[in-house]
Amino acid sequence: MEFEFTVDGVRQTIALDRKDDRICIQHGDKTLEAQVRVISPEAISFLVGGRSFLLFIARDKEKRYVWLNGCTYILQSGKEEQPLAERGDDRSQKGKSVVTAPMPGKVVKVNVTEKEAVRKNQTLAIVEAMKMENEIKSPLEGFVRKIYVSPGDLVDSEKPLLELEAKA
Amino acid sequence: MFKKILVANRGEIACRIIRACREMGIGSLAVYSEADRASLHVQLADEAICIGPPAAVESYLNMDRIIETARASGAEAIHPGYGFLAENPEFARRCERAGVIFIGPNSRALELVGDKIRARQTMEKSGIPIIPGMKHVAADFAEYATEAGKIGYPVMIKASAGGGGKGMRIVCSEEELRPGLESGQREARAAFGDESVYLEKYIEDPRHVEFQVLADNYGHIVHLFERECSIQRRHQKIVEETPSQALNPELRRRMGETARKVLAVSGYNNAGTVEFLLDRNKTFYFLEVNARLQVEHPVTELTTGVDLVQQQIRIASGEKLSLKQEDLAQRGHAVECRIYAEDPSRNFLPSSGRILFLREPKGPGVRHDGGIYGGWDVPIYYDPILAKLIVWAETRDSACARMAAALDDYVILGISTTIPFLKDVISHPQFREGATTTGFIKNYFENWQEKEGPLDGLTLALAAAALDELSPSERAGKAGGLKKEVHSPWQMLGRWRIGEKL
Repeated sequence: MEFEFTVDGVRQTIALDRKDDRICIQHGDKTLEAQVRVISPEAISFLVGGRSFLLFIARDKEKRYVWLNGCTYILQSGKEEQPLAERGDDRSQKGKSVVTAPMPGKVVKVNVTEKEAVRKNQTLAIVEAMKMENEIKSPLEGFVRKIYVSPGDLVDSEKPLLELEAKA
Repeated sequence: MFKKILVANRGEIACRIIRACREMGIGSLAVYSEADRASLHVQLADEAICIGPPAAVESYLNMDRIIETARASGAEAIHPGYGFLAENPEFARRCERAGVIFIGPNSRALELVGDKIRARQTMEKSGIPIIPGMKHVAADFAEYATEAGKIGYPVMIKASAGGGGKGMRIVCSEEELRPGLESGQREARAAFGDESVYLEKYIEDPRHVEFQVLADNYGHIVHLFERECSIQRRHQKIVEETPSQALNPELRRRMGETARKVLAVSGYNNAGTVEFLLDRNKTFYFLEVNARLQVEHPVTELTTGVDLVQQQIRIASGEKLSLKQEDLAQRGHAVECRIYAEDPSRNFLPSSGRILFLREPKGPGVRHDGGIYGGWDVPIYYDPILAKLIVWAETRDSACARMAAALDDYVILGISTTIPFLKDVISHPQFREGATTTGFIKNYFENWQEKEGPLDGLTLALAAAALDELSPSERAGKAGGLKKEVHSPWQMLGRWRIGEKL
């Protein structure tokens, strides 16, 4: 059977087929034969040509975290593109007019007012999480259309902080 | 000896103290905020009482509430851990007045050394070398600007009540001074309830070497050698070790004696750490006294064999120090890595959320001081430290190898942590050579990104995820509290004919 996952923004297709007492894994032009044993709901053991691999798996909705030899892979199920912001990609902020916090936290300061003109990379607000202050910079040059938060508000990484309009 | 101790902290350090209490046959009382009901320290303690809302100022910094809780529950002493109220002289004074023993220095000594500025004045008078800079808090911005000019840029803004990098800023020009001061003061106020800051000459690329000291209530003082804490990001230590590669026996002896003198002139009792900066010419400057148990205390414990938390409790209960300087020795090498809930590839942005799965590293010479468990939600309100991984081995090389292996064996899924970053730090050739300075991270790890995984890693990860997708009913059963048998994937794959595509 075939499965699709998105890893680091790249779609990956993998096919698993049973072959005698093994599983045949096909991934791109690579084929591996593995003897598999499910150790627990979180652990799975592969023996590939005598090499032993122990993998740990955790699930969070459509996301799976898979750990192998000190490396963690984040796999998004299905054909859904993982949003850039969730992958920590700064491109997600480029040219975007709705500014969100990069992590959950508390708004400690809003540095701009509505209708104010802003430069690119100007500090718009300060969000504090785990006692560290993080400056939220403007992704564009333009002006502040709307401010949704005030100091003391708790925000998550999806809640809009403010909305900008790019300079025409 | 005490019958019950209130632990006025949370996270890994609260767990560490509770364990010490248990070993000494002392009852432990945990206090917690509403955000910490499910936290590990609450589970480990003999008793636990909620002391207020999530914000630290209303809970872990609420002095009256904590002292009242101790009195009402019959706890004779309070251990403050590190951070929060650990170095707050007002809290120590209120404890003294309320007849509750504060496990830490007396309030007068705490006031002196906790006030970095007065400490600098006192040390200078006693002939202890200090870094050039302000010896008072300025009245207004203009005075800071004048002082900064006098010291010469770059200068360092430091919180007078501070530690742990909170409130600390490097300022390279007068233009950066006002925003630096504002944000430093705000951070200092949030962290310590005191916004006083001062300026000091910024020494480039020094080593950060500190000495652990224990002093009983009768003037007997010993030092337990140094810790090298130069690997820092945002002025916060992330890797510590002992012994330091920069010291020879003679320098170690001189710095150790200076550390004892620092405590003696401060009238200090209980555990303390004297921090020094060591410049390129091996000149050392007194930096400050950390009047508390340090985060990195385990490396000293592993190399000296002394349990520092138990010593603190014994000293506070009025026992005489049984350790003698001439009997203390360092054995082998210990390294600690701090595991933070931060994303090292995104400039150490805090990473709160649920720990979906946890497997701590094990093996000979491996110690894990943690405050976490699988299934726990890391709250956004507090310091992002999750745990500390500490290893001991006969030599520095084998300790580094052991640490690298232990980090490789450490699984935390669901949130970003500093583990992959620490692995690269420990494996870095400069680190292996012992060439560690406070500029190490900036010099070698700017814009760090995680390395590619192992060969076939992605393929196997995909296969594991695919097999995992095949067993949704089993997950549902688990979530519903049912214990089901773990199946071989054959049974699941067998449901489809070979070669069938979905």
